[in-house]
Amino acid sequence: MAKVIVRELHKRYGDVLAAQGVSFQIEDGEIFGLLGPNGSGKTTTLECVVGLRQPDAGEIEVCGMDARRRPQAVKEKIGAVLQTIALQDKITPREAVSLFASFYRDTASPAQLLQRFALAEKSDVPFDTLSGGQRQRLAVALAFVNNPELVFLDEPTTGLDPQSRRELHADIAQMKRDGHTVLLTTHHIDEAELLCDRIAIIERGRIIASGPPRSLIAESTAVQSVSLTTARPLEHGWLERLPGVEDLVCDDVTVRFRTAIVSRTVAALMQVLDEHGIELTNLQVRKATLEDVFIALTGDGLPH
Amino acid sequence: MNAFLQQLRISLKLHYRNKMALIYSYLFPLIFLLAFWVLYRHETVTLARHMGELLTVSVLGGACFGLPTTMVSERERGVWRRYRLTPVPTAALVASTAAARYCILITAGLLQLGLALALGMPLPKHPVDLFIVFTFVSFAFIGLGLVMAMMADNVPAVQALGQCIFLPMLIIGGIAVPLASLPDWALHVSAFFPGRYAVEALQACVIGPGLGAARFDLLALLIIGAGGCVAGAKMFRWDAQQRFAARSGKGWVTVALLSWGVVGVMSEYQGRMLATRPADSPKQAQPSPVSTPALPAASTAPAAARAPEPPPPAPVTLSAAERKALQPDAGRKPVTRTPAPTPPEEAPPARTPPPITTVASWQAVTTADIDRDLVFDRLPSDGGIVTPIAPDDEEPDPDTADHLQYIREMLPSWQPGRVADPVQRVRNILYVAALPDVLQMPVERFAPQVVYERLQQDIPKDQLIRILYWIALHPTEGDDKALDELWALHFPNGPVDVEQTRERSAIYAVKLLGRILGKLPRRPS
Repeated sequence: MAKVIVRELHKRYGDVLAAQGVSFQIEDGEIFGLLGPNGSGKTTTLECVVGLRQPDAGEIEVCGMDARRRPQAVKEKIGAVLQTIALQDKITPREAVSLFASFYRDTASPAQLLQRFALAEKSDVPFDTLSGGQRQRLAVALAFVNNPELVFLDEPTTGLDPQSRRELHADIAQMKRDGHTVLLTTHHIDEAELLCDRIAIIERGRIIASGPPRSLIAESTAVQSVSLTTARPLEHGWLERLPGVEDLVCDDVTVRFRTAIVSRTVAALMQVLDEHGIELTNLQVRKATLEDVFIALTGDGLPH
Repeated sequence: MNAFLQQLRISLKLHYRNKMALIYSYLFPLIFLLAFWVLYRHETVTLARHMGELLTVSVLGGACFGLPTTMVSERERGVWRRYRLTPVPTAALVASTAAARYCILITAGLLQLGLALALGMPLPKHPVDLFIVFTFVSFAFIGLGLVMAMMADNVPAVQALGQCIFLPMLIIGGIAVPLASLPDWALHVSAFFPGRYAVEALQACVIGPGLGAARFDLLALLIIGAGGCVAGAKMFRWDAQQRFAARSGKGWVTVALLSWGVVGVMSEYQGRMLATRPADSPKQAQPSPVSTPALPAASTAPAAARAPEPPPPAPVTLSAAERKALQPDAGRKPVTRTPAPTPPEEAPPARTPPPITTVASWQAVTTADIDRDLVFDRLPSDGGIVTPIAPDDEEPDPDTADHLQYIREMLPSWQPGRVADPVQRVRNILYVAALPDVLQMPVERFAPQVVYERLQQDIPKDQLIRILYWIALHPTEGDDKALDELWALHFPNGPVDVEQTRERSAIYAVKLLGRILGKLPRRPS
């Protein structure tokens, strides 16, 4: 059963079309990623789904309910972590969790939540004394205060240090094991590849590709990367003439290039080496990554 | 309900953890009160007379600065946006925020009242009514604070908006400047501000006749509060970046302004803006002044007894006999005579009291009694703020001159100035000088001359001398129904400190007596 169905979502801010016919579906228990650069429309899409913004057009169904007609009922079923962690400076994690628990009918134990998200020791200190990672864990704890069926995470690891980021990845993976459905927006390709069962790549308010990361890579026309090391330097001209070679970089005995016809290029390369008596010491052929797929689809690099 | 209570609890907790908020909501009102008390401490019941204004300033500051500042700063941080992700209704969150503010206001008001009592202010005459009126005042200003919170995009904008409302309301809205001191145009404008109704209603409960006299004020506050709450709810914004969905969003502010307009028009229609009663229904239109002279002993005691340095000017001008006469019980039995011309606290401790004698009636007063019991050289200066009298050659401004002329013309036919009992008649006419002094009206320095002229025309000199002496020594005798009739001379109605008015009448009686006997110069020194 689909937990979220979005059909032909449109949202405009003045002259800017933030969402232009966005459609996707999230199945029960899966982690779905919206991947795209800043300003691509992924946050607008998420905020329309959770009820923070009113779309100009389109249908949104969440947990079997029309989210535009029954926003309050939908909010009972969902939890969300927004990009900015917004709480009063002097509120403590325990107070925040208790306060948000009072907003829902079905709630988790505040003490257990604080324990689960490693905030028990910090439960009575003011919010403004918490580290970035602790604040983000508190935001996640607040999203889980109502035992949500569906969790929305809007770029949850942005601004976190590597350690906090790894911990949050573990939390998100645990959400899936616990049976939660998750919608994750991110511009970190590795994060999407690591965590998501399915992703949708969104650019300029449109979804330009969607599916499991491996399928997207497999279906991609992206070229593969080849790097090699030889015992003696190769001449640039020999390599330029190889079939399918692109983006050639020759640095003494180290060579890198990309090719869409890897078998023919490597066969020709072996022939050149044999003709000139040059020994090959290392050869690596790397498959396309999600980043390669994204670049191939959008023609843009991702922001970091 | 749980969400409402939790949000209320957290709002209060967070407020009490914020030092700046505490200073603003609790310390400033107390500092304001103390400053007022220090400046005017020689007046015995000044705080009681101005408690309405002091409480209104506290509510105005807390509701129109504190509430929107908190809401806008939380909205800027994204706290309200996060709340929006929860299923709790907007109304519950806003109501709990407003309720928290009400709790803060009422505790601030209680603290202010407590300090005023500690400084010697008598207990409010109608404490339950005061609580009810305070609630109405809070409602009106919290509604206004909600509108401001929705209008302002950021905290600096709250401060700017707040000043736009705060300053006019202080100056011409009847809060910091007495209405009686304002020109007519400002009185008309003040009728459109909630501050005026807040002050009047609160004051009616502190020293006035209570809730019954503040019905219109309560209605006005209710209308203004409801207008603000409706506009605030319709303009509600979760997000700092969220603009009003349509132009009509911001247009809801007109509902709030409309409520001010409705109240102002109603007030104009009933002729309240000039603080005068319509001639056809005087009792309905304005609160009646207090008619009983019986006040708590603490408030009737001379200020000198409670303010050691320097000796307050007004009470020390009265002789010991006069002071004794000010005691509630003393006015109802034969007054003991004492020859001591100076206040008791200044008399040598070893001095033996002279034999006690009494004057049976005003007709029995002799020159010897006057010489023995009254002092004329320690009266408040005619150029001071207590019982002032303008020099003969000073011209009042045109508005004041018009009012004086009106008093001069109306006084001979003014009913209380024609009662048969000559003592009561003189007492009533002296109120025409005393009340402007108590209320610090523009005519206060000129009215005594008109009164003196009238008394000297109306009462034979030998009688007037005796009666003035009698009133000086018996300020609490007689009735004060005439205070109810001063509207006919275009004096403002509303709560009046009767005790202070009687005291000022007594001083004016001594001043006139001094002039008649040639013991005082005609012009102030």
